[in-house]
Amino acid sequence: MSSLTQKMETIRNDYFSTRGNAVISSVCIALLLWIGWTLVDWGLLNAKFSADEGIDGCRAVSGACWAVIDARARLIFFGLYPYEEHWRSALACLAIILVTVLSCIPCFWTTRRLAFLWLAGFATFYVLMRGGVLGMTEVLETEWGGLALTLFIFSAVCIVGMPMAIVFALLRRSQYTVIATTMALVIDGIRSLPLLSIMFTAALVLTFVLPDWLQGDKLYRVIFGYSLFFACYQAEIIRGGMQSLPAGQEEAAKALGLNYFQRISRIVLPQAFRNALPPTINQFVVTFKETSLVTIVGFFDVLASGNAAFSSGEWLTTYVEVYFFVALIYFSFVFSLSRYGAYLETRLRVGQH
Amino acid sequence: MTQNETLAVRITDLNKYYGTFHALHDVNLSVKKGEKIVICGPSGSGKSTLIRCINRLEEHQQGSINVLGTELNDDLGNVDEIRREVGMVFQHFNLFPHLTVLENCVLAPMLVRKIGRDEAETIALEYLTKVKIPDQAQKFPGELSGGQQQRVAIARALCMKPEVMLFDEPTSALDPEMISEVLDVMTTLAREGMTMICVTHEMGFARQVADRVIFMAEGQVIEEADPETFFNNPQNERTRGFLSQILNH
Repeated sequence: MSSLTQKMETIRNDYFSTRGNAVISSVCIALLLWIGWTLVDWGLLNAKFSADEGIDGCRAVSGACWAVIDARARLIFFGLYPYEEHWRSALACLAIILVTVLSCIPCFWTTRRLAFLWLAGFATFYVLMRGGVLGMTEVLETEWGGLALTLFIFSAVCIVGMPMAIVFALLRRSQYTVIATTMALVIDGIRSLPLLSIMFTAALVLTFVLPDWLQGDKLYRVIFGYSLFFACYQAEIIRGGMQSLPAGQEEAAKALGLNYFQRISRIVLPQAFRNALPPTINQFVVTFKETSLVTIVGFFDVLASGNAAFSSGEWLTTYVEVYFFVALIYFSFVFSLSRYGAYLETRLRVGQH
Repeated sequence: MTQNETLAVRITDLNKYYGTFHALHDVNLSVKKGEKIVICGPSGSGKSTLIRCINRLEEHQQGSINVLGTELNDDLGNVDEIRREVGMVFQHFNLFPHLTVLENCVLAPMLVRKIGRDEAETIALEYLTKVKIPDQAQKFPGELSGGQQQRVAIARALCMKPEVMLFDEPTSALDPEMISEVLDVMTTLAREGMTMICVTHEMGFARQVADRVIFMAEGQVIEEADPETFFNNPQNERTRGFLSQILNH
């Protein structure tokens, strides 16, 4: 009971200490309550959830028309993927999410386990999505879409881009000036290009330049281009983390007889990543959101699928609800990412005073 | 025994430049196995540079360094071999902050000496006991005091079972009340016959432990003598000036 009175006391002191403060606080609280109530009223109390009566069912209510989600959720999640095969796309999504969650758990943090995990994850995803084996009909990459595609592009870019970023950062720090300068030029060059132009190049220009056997599907070219872009930014983040290490750390490792790879993998990188954790999480968040750019080169990611969900036929007026729903999908992923980042920071702070 | 078998370190006509700055000037130094050398001198005199050359933390340009019969040159195999046998303790400890005390101690023996974890941990606990902090094994370096961290650093170097130990101003970064706990450990080590080369201004330690004291200034060895002669009857004017400054403050 006393803690409650204490809390009340704190609130009074912090927000209602003078008449001016009291007025400002009251106005803000009123505003928040009004916004909250409007949202609940629109989104829950006066909303239509079932699509049984089509768009007509929504005309009868003043609130949100969630019926469009009920009717078009599959389109948003799976894009143009064949309707009767949606279960495969759903399972593939789950596989990627499961692998992501598992690789966030510290006991999987060895190179071998992470490599095995992601190899298994991508193999499962690919076999399920692409089919053509085990009695599953074949579905070409051009028909992949929705959330499944967004998750696939994001995780592939991170998994391919991160080792590249580490190599880039190490090369840029090379003691050989030629290597360091070349790498610096490459990194700065690619960073100065817009992601969009890189995706265009990967999707279209490369088809004229590369021999047929090297081209692969457009999807993989775009993922490679995006990974390169990701790696250049992440390399600079990692390099920043390395530079904040005192020189004594590498010297001590040398004095103990550790060779270059042991020094990098056991002493430098673990500490560099710890130092660079906040900007790294930030980079993941930006990468996740910018996957939506692939719609420009003809892919049907979750945002493009959302556009398609309301822009055909009777649901034309329900764009607010669709965007709200897509935003919620993005939010749940990005918010989990940043919460996980915060957890990691607390965990890693142990012992670093 | 031949000379090679009794010598731990032989430095001949060593010259080292940083750009145009002549950091070490024709330095000659031989250290026998089991010998304890204290190097002192004003800051910037090249004493740290000299011992950092011994395990290739700094490269020298002229002259030769031979450690335990292995010539220190551009052959990385030789560098690795020397680093395995030469332990080093730094002024700022340089413990690995992301690893526990025990992990700090077992890392190099497991990676470099390729011994198993159980054996490495046994050795680590043995040396942590020797430096009187076995109960801190599971803590992170950041949780320990400066004196404790430096003792861990000594234990970490000893876990590699080195033939030679280099100390680069091991007590300079410590609070005064912690200096003696580190010097005690070093004295014990010296009594047990370890070959030691110490850059330090702890003249009490030098008097008590050293077989020879070396005074350096401007990259040159100015004076070299047994502690008795060095402290009571220094030959060089600059040595006398230096000693009067650090002994009478």
